[in-house]
Amino acid sequence: MKNKRFAIVLDTKRCIDCKACTVACKTENHVPLGTDNYRNWVGPEPLRGTYPNLGQTFTPSQCQHCSNPPCEHVCPTGATTVTPDGIVHVIEHKCIGCKYCMTACPYDARYYNEEIEAVDKCTFCSQRIYGENGQLPACVETCPTKVRVFGDLNDPNSDVSKLLAKHPSRVLKPAQGTKPNLYYLI
Amino acid sequence: MSRLIDKKLSRRRFIGLSSCTLATAVVGSQVKVLRALATSGDISAPVAGKDDSIFTTCGMCVNKCGVIARVRDGVIRKLDPNPHFIKSRAMLCARGNAGVKVVYDPDRLKYPLIRTGARGEGKFRKATWAEALDLVAKNLNTIADKYTRAGVMFASTEGTYQDHFFNQLAECFGSPNTVRHPTLCLSSNIQGFSATFGTNPTPDVLNADYIIMSGANRSEALITPDSIDMLKGDGGRRKVIYLDPRFTKTAAKADKWFPIKAGTDMAFILAMINVIVSEGLYDKTYLQNNTVGFDKLLPHVASYTPEWAQDECEIAADDIRKVAREFAEAAPKAVYYQGRRSSFASNDTQMRRAMAILNAIVGNWDVKGGMLPNAGIKLTPHDYLAPWYDDVPERIDAGSVAFLSEKDGSWPVVQERVLAADPYPVKGMMIYKQNVLSSVPDRAKTLKMMDQMDFICCIDITMSDAAWYSDVVLPEATYLERQDPIESLGGPVPVAVFRQPAIEAQFESKPCLWIMQELATRLGEEIAETFDFTMDEYIHHQVKNNPQILTDLKEKGVYFERTEPNYGSTLGKRLKTVSGKIEIYSQRYADKGLDPLPVYISPTKIPAGKYRLIVGRHAFFTHGTTANNAYLHEIMPENTLWLHSAAAAQAGLTHGQTVKVRSSVGEETLNLEVTDKIRPDCVYMAHGFGVLSKGLSNIYGKGGCDAALIETKYCPISGNAAMHETLVEVVPA
Repeated sequence: MKNKRFAIVLDTKRCIDCKACTVACKTENHVPLGTDNYRNWVGPEPLRGTYPNLGQTFTPSQCQHCSNPPCEHVCPTGATTVTPDGIVHVIEHKCIGCKYCMTACPYDARYYNEEIEAVDKCTFCSQRIYGENGQLPACVETCPTKVRVFGDLNDPNSDVSKLLAKHPSRVLKPAQGTKPNLYYLI
Repeated sequence: MSRLIDKKLSRRRFIGLSSCTLATAVVGSQVKVLRALATSGDISAPVAGKDDSIFTTCGMCVNKCGVIARVRDGVIRKLDPNPHFIKSRAMLCARGNAGVKVVYDPDRLKYPLIRTGARGEGKFRKATWAEALDLVAKNLNTIADKYTRAGVMFASTEGTYQDHFFNQLAECFGSPNTVRHPTLCLSSNIQGFSATFGTNPTPDVLNADYIIMSGANRSEALITPDSIDMLKGDGGRRKVIYLDPRFTKTAAKADKWFPIKAGTDMAFILAMINVIVSEGLYDKTYLQNNTVGFDKLLPHVASYTPEWAQDECEIAADDIRKVAREFAEAAPKAVYYQGRRSSFASNDTQMRRAMAILNAIVGNWDVKGGMLPNAGIKLTPHDYLAPWYDDVPERIDAGSVAFLSEKDGSWPVVQERVLAADPYPVKGMMIYKQNVLSSVPDRAKTLKMMDQMDFICCIDITMSDAAWYSDVVLPEATYLERQDPIESLGGPVPVAVFRQPAIEAQFESKPCLWIMQELATRLGEEIAETFDFTMDEYIHHQVKNNPQILTDLKEKGVYFERTEPNYGSTLGKRLKTVSGKIEIYSQRYADKGLDPLPVYISPTKIPAGKYRLIVGRHAFFTHGTTANNAYLHEIMPENTLWLHSAAAAQAGLTHGQTVKVRSSVGEETLNLEVTDKIRPDCVYMAHGFGVLSKGLSNIYGKGGCDAALIETKYCPISGNAAMHETLVEVVPA
C-alpha cells in the first residue's frame, strides 16, 4: 500500500486564539504542566497599526513535520526519526536528552519532558489517527472554528490536497529548506 | 396526602397555576407516577467500564457542549467533543478540554467541613456527612423559628442540571429569597427584548450577512454556536461591525471596529434608527402589519441624528450613516446582535429595547439570517407540592424594580436590603456553587452581608471565596462524576442533553440531589416527600411521553428534532406581547410609568485623573470558577490592568509596574498592562483573580478582584447590576 504524507492545512483567518488546541494537546499527550512544556501553541502576532486603526492575527503552530527535518539530521543517537507516513517523532528510549534537536529546530517545536526523560514533540496524535476509530489529532478535532484540516497529501481527494489545490498557501521559514508539511492558507 | 392538598399548597405555586384543582390532582399522584415509571435501573447503574467512552455534557460554562469522556483504567484520560452535538458544531474549547483537571484537582473539596476558626480564617475540621447535614438542618430550623423562613436566602448557580433540586429545596423550605445569576448577567436583555418581541430571540448568526455586535465579545466570551458561526467560511458575504471600548479578539476578527465610548451604545442605535426611518429604508407594509407604535417612533428619534450621536459615542456621523444604510440594505439578513451579558449600565434595559426596535424596523423577525424565536424540547416536569407556611413575607427585594423576576430576584438589591435588614432580617445563607464574593458587585458589602449571617452553608467542588467564608462546606461531585437529569437547551434548534458519570464520585463528594434529599429528610416529612424519587425515576418521568429522548442520549449523547431553524413559524401568529405584535411602543412600559420608547441618558462624565472600569470575559475562565484550574491557570496566571499608552504616559505609569486601583468601595493591587487595545478613558481587568480563599492554591495572591471595585448600581427596570458605572483612579503601588 502506498504510504501517506500527513499534513495540516491551517486557515489562520478563522483562529480566535482560544487555546482549545493547546489544552487538548496537553491532555491527550500527557504533556506536563508548565509553560515550557508544549507540543503546540497559538502565537498572537504583534498588534498592527495605531489606535484606533488596529489589527491582529493569531497563528497556531507546532512541529512542521518537515520533509527535510534538521532535528533528525543532528540527532546523535537516531532517536529522532521519520515514519514512512512522514511523521517526525522521537524514540524515547534512544533519546539521551542532549537537546541538540531542540537547538536545530527552526520552529521551536520541541521541549524536554522531565517525566519521560526525553525530548517530546507533536506526533500528529499517532495514537489517535492509527487507533481503532481513526480519530483526528486532538488539536484538529477540538478546534471551535476549525482552523486546522488534517489529511494525506498523497491522496488527491483528501481535504488537505483539495484545499491546497484551490487556495494559495505558504510555509513557515521556507528559506531554511526544511520543507514543512504545515501549510498556511494565504 | 389530602391534608397537603388542602392546606399546604405553596402560595407561589398557587399563583403560577391557572386551576388549583387540576394542579393538585396532577401533583398529588406525582410520586406514584414516578414509581410506576421506574424501570430496570439502567440510569443509576453506574458509570463507565474500566475502559470506555461516555457521552455527557460539559459543565465548565453556560454552553453545555457535548462531550465524550474517554476513560481508561477507571481514570478520565481525555475529553473529546461529541461529533453529533450540533449546537456546539462538534467542538470543545480550552475550558472544556481542561475539565479533566476539575476532577483530578488537588484543591478539590474532598469531604464535608465545619468551620472552627473565625469566618474567613480558613480553619475547618473534617466532618461526617451526617454531622454536617444535621448542623445545616438545625441552623435552618433555628433561623426559620426566629426570623420566619424568609430569614434564609438561597443563592444558586445555573447549568449543573441539579440546580433545580436546590431551588426545589428552597421553595419547599419556604423561603421566597432565592437569587441566581440573571441580574449579574442578562436580565436586562431578557426584559428589553421580551418587551418588544415577547421573547429574547436568538440571532441567526450562521445565515446573517450583516452583524453588528456591541459589547458582545464572541471570539472570547464564547457562546455556541454563535462564536463559531460568526467565522463562517471564506465564501461568506458576511460583514461584522464591532463596537467595544476594547480591541478584543472579536475586534481582530471584525470587518470594522469602533472604539465606542462606554455607555453610549444607545446613542449609536438611536441614530441608526433615525437614519433608517428618515431615509425610508424600511418596509412600510411590513411595519403596519406586524408592529405597533411605529408612528410614535418617527418623532421620538427625530433629534437623535448621527451628528448628535457622534458627540456622544465618538463615532463619526458618516460612519453611523454608512452602517445604518448597509444594515438596512442587508436586511432582513442583518442582525443587531444583543449579546448575553447586559450588566453594563443602569439604563441597560432601555438600551436593549433600542436594539430590539432597530431589529424590528428592518423586518428581520423570524426569517433566515434574522432574529429567531426560541423553542425547547418537551420534557415532562417533576411537579411537586411545596408545603404551605403562614407568615412568610414576600421577597426581600419585592417592589424594588419594575419587573422583578420572582425566582431570580435582583442580586444588588438583595445585597443592600439584607445588609440593612430592610424590611426584615435574613440571617441564613445557603449557597450552591455561586461564588457570590467574586460575582456580586462590591465585595466588601457582600462580606458585610455575610458577616451578619447566623449561618452560611456552601455546596461547591473547590474552596471558592464563598465556601471560604461559610460555616459548613459540602463537597459536590463534579459534572464528570454525576448522573444529571435531562435538560432542554432552548434555541432556534433546541437540543436535549444530560450527564452520565464517567467515573464514580471521588473522595466523599456527593451529587446535589443526594445532598438535598438528605437535608429534606432532616427538615421534615413534608419536604422529604417532594424528594421521594431516585434519579432513575426522575429521568424516566421526564421522557415518559417521548422515550426516544433517552434512547438518543444514550446512543449519541444528544437529542434533537430538527437540524435547521423552523423559519417563519410565528409569522402571522400572535406574539407573546400584550398586543400580540412586535411592540415598538410599549404600552406596558407606559402603564408602569416607564419610557415607552427608549430615551437616551448620557453616561457620567469622567473627571480628569479617573477612568471608567470595564469588565469582560475571555475564553479561558468562566466567571469566578475556573481560574484555579491547572491547565487554564497556565494560559492566564494572573490578571493585569489594561491602560492605554497615551493615558499611561500622561499619568507617568509604565508597563509592568504594580499599581493600586481605587474606587469608592475598594482598592486592588495588580500589575499594569500598557496597551493600545483600550480607549484612553477606560481601564479593564479580567475577572476571577484577587481571591480571598487560600484554598485556591494556584491563584491565591495573584492579581486583583473586579468585584471589590465595582459599586452597587442596577437597572431600575430589570434589577440587572450595572458594572460599567464605576470610576477608578490608578496610582503606583
